[in-house]
Amino acid sequence: MQETIDIARFTRDRQGAGAKKEGGRDAPSGPPSSRSFWNLKVAVIVDRNDDGERLIRELQRLRCDVHHEWPMPSQIPAQYDVVFCVLSPDLPQRLPWIPGEPASALVVIDPGAGMLDLNLLHNCAAHGVLHYPVTSRSVQSTLALARGHFLYERRLRGRIEKLDESLRTMRSVERAKSLLMRLKNVSEEEAYNYLRRQAMERRVTIGAVATAIIDSYELLG
Amino acid sequence: MTRSSNTSEPWRVGVLFSRTGFMAVIEETQLRGTLTAIEEINAGGGVNGRPLEPVVYDPGSEASAFGRYAKKLMVEDGVSTIFGCYTSSSRKAVLPVVERLNGLLWYPTLYEGFEFSPNVIYTGATPNQNSVELCRILMERYGTRFYFIGADYIYPRESNRIMRELIRNSGGTVVGESYVRMGASREEFLPVMRDVKRAQPDVIFSTVVGDGTVYLYQAYADLGLDPKVMPIASLTTTEAEIRAMGYDVGEGHITAAPYFQGVGNERNSSFVRDYKKRYGDDEPTNMCLEASYFQVNAFAKTLEQTNSMDTEILRASVMGSEFEAPQGDVAINPIWGHADLWTRIGRANRQGQFDLVYESPSCVLSDPYLLGYGRSLGQKNLELA
Repeated sequence: MQETIDIARFTRDRQGAGAKKEGGRDAPSGPPSSRSFWNLKVAVIVDRNDDGERLIRELQRLRCDVHHEWPMPSQIPAQYDVVFCVLSPDLPQRLPWIPGEPASALVVIDPGAGMLDLNLLHNCAAHGVLHYPVTSRSVQSTLALARGHFLYERRLRGRIEKLDESLRTMRSVERAKSLLMRLKNVSEEEAYNYLRRQAMERRVTIGAVATAIIDSYELLG
Repeated sequence: MTRSSNTSEPWRVGVLFSRTGFMAVIEETQLRGTLTAIEEINAGGGVNGRPLEPVVYDPGSEASAFGRYAKKLMVEDGVSTIFGCYTSSSRKAVLPVVERLNGLLWYPTLYEGFEFSPNVIYTGATPNQNSVELCRILMERYGTRFYFIGADYIYPRESNRIMRELIRNSGGTVVGESYVRMGASREEFLPVMRDVKRAQPDVIFSTVVGDGTVYLYQAYADLGLDPKVMPIASLTTTEAEIRAMGYDVGEGHITAAPYFQGVGNERNSSFVRDYKKRYGDDEPTNMCLEASYFQVNAFAKTLEQTNSMDTEILRASVMGSEFEAPQGDVAINPIWGHADLWTRIGRANRQGQFDLVYESPSCVLSDPYLLGYGRSLGQKNLELA
């Protein structure tokens, strides 16, 4: 039960009112910020009722590359930029990633019936919630925030990785620097400049130069 | 998060140690340490009248399974506190889960340091509590030429990086280095040991873990090498591994650890006695078991005060607190969330126990990023004074 929808079949006319109210411009050019949605790969895992249709149409109007799937697969696909998925009690188990390492931005859809389960929401570790009934405004703002949070988280994770790595590199640089100071009888400043120059000339990181110096010092005994 | 105090509903906690696969020898003892502490606490009436209820899974020595089970514990079982993990790769698999869902992992294993997470309490040793002193004593007693043998994953690579730095800074050299894959077979250690024999180091520094430890020491014994002249030194070979390889095979080799079964104090004597009563006279205790045991007690003592499993509240309360452990008095360092632990160096004897070669005068402040140990081994560490 999968289908990929041809974006070209849909025109702004089918959702025109919402878009005009919000952007005040024609959809094809769109407000500058909505360009970031263009060709975004979005999976939509909802029943195709009126709200489901409205959501799909709005995403297509935003020029997203929409892939619809229903009923909910046992494993939510991981190859999309954003996933819109109806909130079900077992959604956390259907997510193919572990919390904290999501493969895509996740927007859960609250159909609005029954008690809202905040704990379930927490366990999905979602980036946004969309409530029915669907409006153009709510889809755009949720999509923008979810994507933004997802990318921000990813940048932070990358930064932490980089910091961890740098911390280790710094120790090698320190060590190489003191080796150079002793062996070449130069100042700290000169030793550091030497490392930096070597790195630039060889087009490698300063950490790589430092490690090479330490290693060769060891080889020479 | 207010709970009525008259409920008798259990406090549910997660437990993740491998009972199967190549890490089972040591992780099984960590599971026992955890469950022993839980049983003792429950026998004493639980925490504020409520028993601890462990939810236990066996990740089968597979790192990614630790991540999946951590998710299952937090999402399906509604658990926020997890005791578990031996290898660094398994800890790193659990880390994103507890960080994103705001859980608390209690990690009872020595590791390579250089990590900090607001969602982990580390109760095993980091390099300043084992490697630094171990390196000094090895160089004093055996010589300056080291050969590294490790399992091929995060902990050995990182541990060796630090050890190499310590050795070099003190004028020693690393004359060889070999890595075997995790879960390697017995045969894979033979070429490594032949290379060792050829390189003639003064000391072999091993970061092999799991079943590989047994194969390594046995291969050493089979080649007729002499631990008095060229011992294998390790941060991970405990009484459990010595027992698995055979007492005669283990005799004479060196291990650095915060705890050995032979630690002489009343608390440890009763800990060892109770453990043997429960699991059998020939079942030794070890550092990983001890950390697993004392961290559950540290958790329970904290929970008694907070009466809440909320991660923020628990963590705030446990930071800086002091506990009585079988190894001696320890504390959870308020800066790092790592335990301040004892440094001990032991030599295995014919009875499978360790004779103490060195013991710190008190627990050593945790310094996971080695901020105070950049240079050489020459200066005596201040916190030991």
